[in-house]
Amino acid sequence: MSEMVSINVDGNRIQADKGALLLPTLLKNGIMVPHFCYHDALGPDGNCRMCMVAIEGQKRPQIACDTLVKKDMVVSTKNESINDVKRKILELELLSHPVDCPICDQAGECSLQDYYMEFGLNEARRPKEEKKLKNKKLDIGKNIILDQERCVLCARCTRFTQEITHTNELAIIGRGNDARVSTVPGQEMQTPYAMNIIDLCPVGALTSKDFRFKQRVWFMHSSKGVCHGCAKGCNIYIDHNQEKYKSDTIFRYRPRINNRVNGHFICDEGRLSYKDENNERLSGFYQHNKLISEERAMTHLLHCLTTLHPLLIVSPSLSLEELTVIQVLSQRFNLEVHAFAQGYQDESFEDDWLRSKDRSSNLASVKKLDIKTSKDALIRALECTGLVINFNHRSFLNTKLQDQAILVNKKEIHFASHSFDNCKHKELLIPISSYSENEGTLINEDGVLQRYEAGLCNEKKSLLQILHELISTPATPKEVWDKHLNEVFGFGYEDIGPEGKQL
Amino acid sequence: MIQKIVSKNFNIENSHTLEVAKKNGAYQSIDRAFTLKPTDIEIEISKSGLRGKGGGGASAGAKWCLVSVTNEKSYLIVNADESEPGTFKDRQIMQYDPHLLIEGIILTCYAIHSHDAYIYVRGEYKFFADRLNEAIKEAYEDGILGQNVKDFGYRMDITVHRGAGAYICGEKSALVESLEGNRGHPRLKPHEPSPEYYFGKPALVNNVETIASVPFIINEGADAYKAFGTEKSPGTLLFGMSGHINNPGIYEMAFGESMQDFIDKIGGGIKNGKKLKAVIPGGASTPVLNAEEVKLAKLDYESMKEIGSALGTGGMIIMDEDTCMVGALKNLLSFYHHESCGQCTPCREGTAWVDGIIENILNNKGKEDDIDLLSDISKTMNGKTICVFAPAVSMVIDGFILRFRNEFETYIAKSKEAVDV
Repeated sequence: MSEMVSINVDGNRIQADKGALLLPTLLKNGIMVPHFCYHDALGPDGNCRMCMVAIEGQKRPQIACDTLVKKDMVVSTKNESINDVKRKILELELLSHPVDCPICDQAGECSLQDYYMEFGLNEARRPKEEKKLKNKKLDIGKNIILDQERCVLCARCTRFTQEITHTNELAIIGRGNDARVSTVPGQEMQTPYAMNIIDLCPVGALTSKDFRFKQRVWFMHSSKGVCHGCAKGCNIYIDHNQEKYKSDTIFRYRPRINNRVNGHFICDEGRLSYKDENNERLSGFYQHNKLISEERAMTHLLHCLTTLHPLLIVSPSLSLEELTVIQVLSQRFNLEVHAFAQGYQDESFEDDWLRSKDRSSNLASVKKLDIKTSKDALIRALECTGLVINFNHRSFLNTKLQDQAILVNKKEIHFASHSFDNCKHKELLIPISSYSENEGTLINEDGVLQRYEAGLCNEKKSLLQILHELISTPATPKEVWDKHLNEVFGFGYEDIGPEGKQL
Repeated sequence: MIQKIVSKNFNIENSHTLEVAKKNGAYQSIDRAFTLKPTDIEIEISKSGLRGKGGGGASAGAKWCLVSVTNEKSYLIVNADESEPGTFKDRQIMQYDPHLLIEGIILTCYAIHSHDAYIYVRGEYKFFADRLNEAIKEAYEDGILGQNVKDFGYRMDITVHRGAGAYICGEKSALVESLEGNRGHPRLKPHEPSPEYYFGKPALVNNVETIASVPFIINEGADAYKAFGTEKSPGTLLFGMSGHINNPGIYEMAFGESMQDFIDKIGGGIKNGKKLKAVIPGGASTPVLNAEEVKLAKLDYESMKEIGSALGTGGMIIMDEDTCMVGALKNLLSFYHHESCGQCTPCREGTAWVDGIIENILNNKGKEDDIDLLSDISKTMNGKTICVFAPAVSMVIDGFILRFRNEFETYIAKSKEAVDV
């Protein structure tokens, strides 16, 4: 157990862990100390020298990232002399920087830019002709563009490949002001986590080829999502924006820190899965390739439910609340629910870090609700019915996947967020909103129950809303919890904290 | 003035061979040492007041103690990455008396309970590395090294490793990094006094000359060593002279001699009867002294600090009255610009910037506020980096500006004329 001690920072007393590093302690307490090389996931490196603070009893300014908290230490982060030191070191960081913020994708989320506005604001004391020129827009693979001139050589990216992925794909080569980040000549980044270095980079040296020039960051809104790419449930920010005359669109996913699940990082495939979320969205209700009104669709649906005794197939990626409501629906009409999901298994995707072979995001909830998942049970059930209602089960929609063959010669009603082959030709097609537009909860493969919030505003009804209007089931996840789940779990929807709840 | 302890065999023919070395007393201290306890050797070294001779002048005994108290498997790493401009003393030991170094290594390793020593030789010293390897081979064949040192039942292995030509690898933590196979970047300093760690095990890093001084202390005793030099700087050092001097070379003297005497009596005065202008006292990284200060300078750590410079490695660069001090500074700054490892921002960018400013001044493109700018950058570089490279550069710049400001001003005035015309 660490001992809590009191320290004095700029005249205020704060409580801190004795022996902890000073910089994260200050940052945790909301005290802004500029830093490039320190990162919570990588620890201190001590190379950028930006986090200088004055400590009483020390002759010289010290770097906060490598200073240990001691009882009653007196720290000054913003007196005139320490500000001058920071200004001078920032001046050196900017000495050969191209200052191309207007065309730099990092603008708006760039530490260099922020610090300059905060306490730099100096005139250039070296003629721009004397700037050190290095390589620009180097494609180092994996969607990453490197601009060596913008780099502050904090070594976060190289330390990531050395200490986190152990792939050693990046290194700093050259000495003195000729130093630069580089891959092995002729080789590209390989690791499936490579794009994390874009987030780690505090400046515009590493930018995403995928995101570059698509959107200024200050136009975007961020919502707290959970990646639906596999059963790991990595926490993400969904950055989206609704441009004039266009629908609300996602521009990127970024990792969101959750030390219980994914730490600071996500895999590249999950990061780029926003494209699947954006593309091929459905709108309009269809019956045998005819656009019909919502009313008519609902009437037909109700008719089918009451008279044709359909089989319900649910996607193992639906939220816990959606699954719960479908179960209520099945009980109301005495129907069977199945979630056979072989098509979601992908052994080749698995690794020992953040990628799971289960490419569905909520199979744990399916099991928690005792929904059947076996193939035999599904085939037996199919023999007794002529109609299947599919709730966004992807592998039943994709003709390339073997699961689809099971549905031959059945009438199909689909609740779907994204289009699929021949979707409009089915018995009935009902468009629903997708996970980036809804809130809800998921249980990941390690049993962590997590909430994600609604992000995008596109005018599509959620599955909960549609069923609510149809058979008066609860309309929101909160109501689902109050009515059905509080008792099961022993706590409420609001009790699920930002890091989720380990079940 | 000359006191030969480390250099006693330098002038003997074939002194580098085991046969000649043995004739002149090599490896005698081993027999004595193995009758003592390791701690006795450590105490003797502490008593002798032996100070590290790589430039810093820290107490050797205290450093040994940090390693020996850990009671872990440990290593001795001999720093032979002699790259400081103006310094060429360790190579003399490796060239003329490699067996003295090996003897010192065995004694030191015994004292700190180590069985493995590495000698990190700068990349350019191929000849000296080869010579060391020949000597080590002889020592193995003679049973001085190997599984059973001189039948005392102690295993001792020495490996010579050549660097790849980086000045910064003379910094002990960068040296260890480099020896581990990494890029030679200095490490963050530990929060408490602690030894270096080589692959996670404590390691003692000492300069060649420091280790080569150990056999004398064991043979003759700490008091015999302390008889030389001053109270706080006991013993001798291989002082060097280069530049505008009649007798350049390496001369071993006790600490505390007068610098002026050294230049006049041993160095034979300034070349071509010119007057002395300046001396860089101990390798490039020590602040320059002008002729007046040289008259007052005494060659020991404390006195040199008192007059605003440092003894460093004792490798003096002598400059006569015709030397352009702006040019001299440019020469030094080009070196530092080239050799900065590039890890810390102030050093990486600062060394390049100051080099550029001096180049402009030399090329008649200087600006009036350039001198102040140099001082300002130098202030930013001082005391804000992981290692002492940048502070050394800062001290070099400050030393030149403090003592020879007028020469910089003359250049800048010329630049102004050039612009006005």
